[in-house]
Amino acid sequence: MAGSQRQKQKTETKNFLVETAMEQFGKRGLTATRTADIAAAAKLSHGTVFLHFPTREVLLEEVIGAFGMRTANRMHELLDSECTMEEVLAAHLKGIEENEAFYAVLVSETAVLPEGAHNTLIMIQSAISHHILQVAQREMNAGTMKKMPFDLLFNTWIGLVHYYLSNRAIFAPDGSVIARHGSRLLTHFMDLISEKGGLQK
Amino acid sequence: MKICIACGMPMKTKDDFAMGDESKDYCKYCAKPDGSMQSYDEKLDGMTEFIVKTQGLDKEAARSAARGMMEKLPAWQN
Repeated sequence: MAGSQRQKQKTETKNFLVETAMEQFGKRGLTATRTADIAAAAKLSHGTVFLHFPTREVLLEEVIGAFGMRTANRMHELLDSECTMEEVLAAHLKGIEENEAFYAVLVSETAVLPEGAHNTLIMIQSAISHHILQVAQREMNAGTMKKMPFDLLFNTWIGLVHYYLSNRAIFAPDGSVIARHGSRLLTHFMDLISEKGGLQK
Repeated sequence: MKICIACGMPMKTKDDFAMGDESKDYCKYCAKPDGSMQSYDEKLDGMTEFIVKTQGLDKEAARSAARGMMEKLPAWQN
């Protein structure tokens, strides 16, 4: 009994460290955050961090993995098969906004991170691109959306959103980029892809 | 909510499950036409193709990413 209690406590501390680390990484950047910052924010000793994660890299990988699973699941939760393109893209922005700080540093710093970080981003993209593909096929067939290659459709959208997120310091220095610019980006993108211009319902 | 053990997709409605069978642990995209679950190689090929088609990645880069994603899923833990 005491054993399982200890195990439970160990798991709880580990999860708490992952959550605290996610917050700190989002605030300070993935490469700039030190394990000492995470320990201080969690009000735990530096040694406790290493008891659960042998290296900073292991902790970072665990945090990125947890974030990826959570975000991909959230994207799926927000969407259903009857969504219009505008609803899919709005849900995508909502999913990003809920964890914007971490998502933005992940997007900005991926190039200098290990392969696992790239895979996580691709996994999140896959969750959303699955829905975009389904709707795009339907709307292209119905003639409400311009016909174009799916990868370019997706990457044009992602390119736009990620550009604003990576440069949030100049687009929204005081807060959320998505809250400030999201609806304009969405309206603009819908104008670009809609067959007759304007929003399609 | 159940999550597909083979691709990680949350299964929200009955329709998301393989053969519409909610007792299954995998989704309709991970099932073969006879309802059984795809093999590792079939899933890896399918995911790679999907990533290339929707995100435009280089094929080998897409395969490596698909392998990385599958590593974390319960169906492929051995």
